[in-house]
Amino acid sequence: MTAIPPLEVTHFQAFLLFAVVISVAFGFLGRRRPKDRVKYILWSLFLFLLVGIGVGWAMFPFSR
Amino acid sequence: MEESSQNTISDGAPSAPRKNDEPFPGESRAVAFGIAGWLLPGLGHALQRMWGRALVVFLAVGLLVFAGASMKGNVFTRQGSDAFDTLGYIADLGTGSFYLFARAIETGGADVSHADGDYGTRLLATAGVLNLLAALHAYEAARGRKA
Repeated sequence: MTAIPPLEVTHFQAFLLFAVVISVAFGFLGRRRPKDRVKYILWSLFLFLLVGIGVGWAMFPFSR
Repeated sequence: MEESSQNTISDGAPSAPRKNDEPFPGESRAVAFGIAGWLLPGLGHALQRMWGRALVVFLAVGLLVFAGASMKGNVFTRQGSDAFDTLGYIADLGTGSFYLFARAIETGGADVSHADGDYGTRLLATAGVLNLLAALHAYEAARGRKA
């Protein structure tokens, strides 16, 4: 198989990819009704982003 | 549902031994679904006609593996030098057959000297753990313990 071109993403894009994929998977596995799934996915994604960006900001003073 | 099953039990002789020695009817079938889900992400749910979940698990694990390998993440092998390598290998093996896919597309080897490679390693491990969770969900669903 031929080598695929390397994927180059920013920190935020990699983080967003992780958060979206995991939120959707958790939503489908954890909830049955479509409305509940959408609510769960959005809430989970919001918390991922909130915690990720929050921890990033908290580490900023120690980054240099 | 619970009430009716309790009544059924109480209607019979309370001290009589159960006819079925298996702790849960269909246990071996549930185990088979779990193993199928591990080997091919989503298969455990597909066999139970949970099409939406099967598709999402297949795509989620596939996307994470593809992105992780494309970002030159570390696909761990058996020849790990320390405990972290072994843990990484176990996590990567969680993707089942997609582990071979990751090995096949990452022909250039890993490059964790950049942030991309480090993220890729995490995405690969996440794919494995997510697939193990999905396989466990398929097993529990077959036992009737998950919605």
